[in-house]
Amino acid sequence: MTTSSLPSRRVHRRAVAAVSVLATAALLAACSSGSGGSATSSGAPTGTLKFIVSSSDASDAGFRAVNAAFMKKYPAVKIQFDAVPNANFAATNSSRLTAGNVDITLAGPKALPSYVPATAEGDDARAAQAGVYVDLTSQPMMKRFSPSVLAVTDFKGKQYTVPTGVSYYSGVYYNKDLFAKYGLSVPTTWDQFVTLSNKLRSNGVAPLGIGGKDGWPAGLTMVSAVQGLYPSAQDKQSLDQGLWQKKVNLTDALPAKVLDRVSTMYGFAQKNFTGVAYTAIPAGFANGEFAMTADGTWNEPTIASAVGSKFKFGYFPIPTGDSAAANATLGGKVELTLAVPSSAKNKNAALAYLDFFSQPANYTKFVTLAGFASSEPNIATSDFLKSIQSYTKTFSPAWDTVFVSNPKAGNAATFPFNYVEVAPLGSMTVQQAAAHAQKDWLAGL
Amino acid sequence: MSEFYPFGGRAGLRSTFSLGMSFVLVFAIVPAVAVVVISFTDIRGLPYIPINWVGIENYLTFFSGAKLGYNLHALQNTLVFAFSVTIFQNLIALLIAVVLSTKLRGRTFYRAVVFMPTVLGVTVIGLIWSLIFNPSAGPGASIWSWFGANSAFFGDQHIALALVIFVQVWAGLGLAVVIFLAGIQAIPEELYECASIDGAGASKKLRHITVPLLAPSFTANVLLCIVGSLQSYQLAYVLTGPNNPATQLLSLAVFTQAFGGGTSSGSSQSQGYAAAISMVQFVIVGIISIAVLVYLRRQESKT
Repeated sequence: MTTSSLPSRRVHRRAVAAVSVLATAALLAACSSGSGGSATSSGAPTGTLKFIVSSSDASDAGFRAVNAAFMKKYPAVKIQFDAVPNANFAATNSSRLTAGNVDITLAGPKALPSYVPATAEGDDARAAQAGVYVDLTSQPMMKRFSPSVLAVTDFKGKQYTVPTGVSYYSGVYYNKDLFAKYGLSVPTTWDQFVTLSNKLRSNGVAPLGIGGKDGWPAGLTMVSAVQGLYPSAQDKQSLDQGLWQKKVNLTDALPAKVLDRVSTMYGFAQKNFTGVAYTAIPAGFANGEFAMTADGTWNEPTIASAVGSKFKFGYFPIPTGDSAAANATLGGKVELTLAVPSSAKNKNAALAYLDFFSQPANYTKFVTLAGFASSEPNIATSDFLKSIQSYTKTFSPAWDTVFVSNPKAGNAATFPFNYVEVAPLGSMTVQQAAAHAQKDWLAGL
Repeated sequence: MSEFYPFGGRAGLRSTFSLGMSFVLVFAIVPAVAVVVISFTDIRGLPYIPINWVGIENYLTFFSGAKLGYNLHALQNTLVFAFSVTIFQNLIALLIAVVLSTKLRGRTFYRAVVFMPTVLGVTVIGLIWSLIFNPSAGPGASIWSWFGANSAFFGDQHIALALVIFVQVWAGLGLAVVIFLAGIQAIPEELYECASIDGAGASKKLRHITVPLLAPSFTANVLLCIVGSLQSYQLAYVLTGPNNPATQLLSLAVFTQAFGGGTSSGSSQSQGYAAAISMVQFVIVGIISIAVLVYLRRQESKT
């Protein structure tokens, strides 16, 4: 081997070391980038505004319309809007927040009731306490929102989020033409609902459409069951407290009745509903495959566009309670709540955007496209939302927004009503599923 | 005889090697060590939340009475999934490779067709098979109805895992076939000719020549398959969602615990807990892989 043309070893080693250090540094630094804009505390917004939300066709369209209007008013701002698919949102949010690479995101901090230990606190609440989100309480734009909605999004006396709307989901869309064809009227009690469904079934029409493959759409029947059997917010709060303090068992008469209602509704669902995806439901409803479908008011724009002018449809709460009075309200939740991270590089533009968003003219535009009910008073609503106004006079929080889940409990007690394991979605009877949930719930206390 | 260094000379070799090593260090080794470390903390999914050292509490939670049943069920599904996929994929791939190594007309076309699923991504494969097995309108439903039956396919607790295994085998066949084909083509023709002279039929040739001499390819394929399918969750996630009890896999549990949260998937744990689950999975995968490797190497050295 010739050695004449080799330079000295020391130079080699230094070159190798330099390359490794540079490469490692480059790789570590390559991850985050981000040009914010001017972070001046006042003045017109400029620069890039990075905005992420959980994607849904209707609300995405709403945001895009407001974004376009905002950029028209402030040409110096460029909005980078990312509608992230639901399943990936938590991961995307986490990495963007860590990199300081987002100016507006979603957050839902919820204060724990006194009877729940701190270990059950959710990520958003912990983050709010650690100062991850900007405190918006004193922002003038918050005055535009309804006090009843702000009462729900309040976190320990402060407001960290802007509520973009309200959705209701303890009801069903129903095919008015099919109902008229078989002489059916909107049921107000459970017995009426059962009779109506049996009549539809005997005429060869599946009464209920459920997108069971995605899991959570079947959970809407559980939410409706609790809404009818524990109608008021106080009833639900007491149930939550009773469960945490071991005063209520999931195998007691009334909690077990919830799963019983769920099981009956599964029986009314279309054939093989456990394999049907949620996204296939609007088409199935439009084709008349089923007369009703358990869904939320957020999906009204999609269902309206699927149904077109084929028939008229309406929405009513599933009457899972025994009396008409118990079935008079729809359970709902505050929809996407926007927050500004403290690490945002362009807070100025973020706050300006939220102010712009909440102005009645722009907010009306958003809410019309998104299909949400308004979180501001005196906003013109769609005919559909007007048609359910009798059920939504007072805001009734749905069960899954009241119940505090215990991360230490077993999986069967997540909701804690174990709708996932009731046949045919799972393989258990109602009693077995309730007993399994009770066992898992106790194991975490 | 002079030694040959690629990239011309030792200096170039060492620089490019250290460049490669930095990549491996930053993107593989550092995160792996970090996962071990955070499994002993209660780190959450969002930044700036105080992180506390909790020792082995996460591991105790994994084996606790509340979670053990669910985790054992996930582990059972994972083992069934891994072994079924490995066995079926390798058997079918071997048969296909034997057929494709003969002088078949259109052989190149068939090879391309068999290899095509490997090129498609998981999401595309998931979409294709979700549509095929759509209970209301898909081709799968039509074929089932010829036998007078109907099924919820991925929604049916009893056959969901079997269907996911089927799709996984279909997706992984291409690579396995390619490895077996390469192994078969390395077997000398004369052996087959000698066997024909001795009067051996096709099945005897397969059993006594092809299979023993394919031992190294077997090792490669089986090991790749087992390690891959013990950790694979992508297809189960795309086809049946993250919370279906019938297809709950250990790696899927890691994913939902770390990145889940919200009413659709229940409460989310700390990511420290997710890291602990993945360490448990690492130990299980490690033990099984080493055991399989040792066994296969011994089989190899026998031939």
